[in-house]
Amino acid sequence: MTAVDVFFYLLSAIAVVAGWRVFRTDSMVRASFFLLTSFLTVGGIALLLAAPYLGAAVLFMMAVEMMVMALFMVMFMMNPAGLNPMNMVHQSRFAIGAGVVAGVSLAVLALVVRFPRHPVEPSADLISRLGHELLGDSMLIFESAGVAIVATMVCTVVLSSASGRYGNATSGSRPPGLEPGGEPAGRRPDSDDDADGGDDE
Amino acid sequence: MSAGSFIVLFIVGLALVAGVYVVAVFDSLAAAWVAARRPSGILLLPIRRAAFLVVQQHNETERPDEAGWRLAPALYLALAATGFGLIPLSASFVPIDGPAGIVLWGAMEALAIVAIFLHGWSANAMLPLIGAYRFVALGLSILLVSMFVLIAAALPAESMRMMDLVDSQRELWNVVRQPLGLPLLLLVAMTLSFWGPFNFADSADLATGTASEVSGPPLLVWKLSRAAMLVSFSALAATLFLGGWLGPWLPGPVWLALKTVLILAVLAGMGRLAGRVSTERMITAAWVVLLPISFLHLAWAGVEALS
Repeated sequence: MTAVDVFFYLLSAIAVVAGWRVFRTDSMVRASFFLLTSFLTVGGIALLLAAPYLGAAVLFMMAVEMMVMALFMVMFMMNPAGLNPMNMVHQSRFAIGAGVVAGVSLAVLALVVRFPRHPVEPSADLISRLGHELLGDSMLIFESAGVAIVATMVCTVVLSSASGRYGNATSGSRPPGLEPGGEPAGRRPDSDDDADGGDDE
Repeated sequence: MSAGSFIVLFIVGLALVAGVYVVAVFDSLAAAWVAARRPSGILLLPIRRAAFLVVQQHNETERPDEAGWRLAPALYLALAATGFGLIPLSASFVPIDGPAGIVLWGAMEALAIVAIFLHGWSANAMLPLIGAYRFVALGLSILLVSMFVLIAAALPAESMRMMDLVDSQRELWNVVRQPLGLPLLLLVAMTLSFWGPFNFADSADLATGTASEVSGPPLLVWKLSRAAMLVSFSALAATLFLGGWLGPWLPGPVWLALKTVLILAVLAGMGRLAGRVSTERMITAAWVVLLPISFLHLAWAGVEALS
């Protein structure tokens, strides 16, 4: 058993245990970070499998992704800090069924399918070969489109959101009524600054 | 583990400890300079502060996420050390060599954001939590800038191996070829080590934010990690833009150390001179000003690499 084998089994064990903990924990932030741990170990396995770019890409993509996920889940849920216990699972019966089916199918595939064996010489320029394999002649188009999409997303957010705390995010916007055509629900931004002068929240 | 690995660990550890000490001394010097008073006793001050924190009791909060709270400083320190390990120290020696070194650096940055958030979140207290959320908002915004700077630095080398990135600067340093890169990278460095004007995680208006409930040895580790992160970023800036170990007469590691110390001096000065703006404005600036500038930087680097 070589050092690579030892690390493979270690990382695999951590990936499985962390993946299991995702469903046994009681907080969204913890669940995200357990999932992150699981993905990070998979990224480590990719590094062991001599896929240097893919392994590193898994590490940084999953780190950002899970951080954004934890942040947005906490932002839009009723449990702001994520430290109060809450039930993290639902539709248990269906989920167990789907999990068993998916797990068994993947295990059968892993055992039955004959994977191709193309040993790569150690000096091969893996990353540039991967880039040509994935994008080929369309590399410039893909890269330009990527930058254009990010720019579009930023512009959309900038144009559609007012600054909020100091600007007038609420001015002109009125919540819908509780019944059709009724009084707007919630507080009205215009009629707020009366009576008690100090409290302008 | 072979003897070679231990030597690598020892070298990285020694360099980081020395760097952390330099950061502490430079910060005291910058503070004295800004306040126009004569610096006194600053050489021993970091050691005395560290010794005080070692013997100080460590704090407990009510029902924290114990594992996360204790692990976060160590995780952050490990990431800073990993980042430093990716830097080529001489013509033939990179502690962690690999064909995707610069991508691993990007992964280290992304994970550092998670570690800092974890530090604030897991204390289960208000001020650390606010610091954590503020930091994540800014950190995720600035991460895009960072990625473009890293990609642009890899363009002239046509490689992601750190050694090739240094080699590509034999004729001309990247600081001349890509003039926007170094300032942008310094901003990223200050964000990820929440330094000076970019200190949103542990800022004074939150009673030191994510560190406000921490004391004793965990606080010492946290402060050490933060300074270590700054050292790693300075070494990266020296490597990507100032030619790393390249230089005449002196041996490579000496050149790298000199350039790193120069960047550290700039960062220490900026930390004390530049004012902090409110979180919303900083995030608006990150998306509306810094991100377009980093686009421009990437396009510039691409055109420069093609010509």
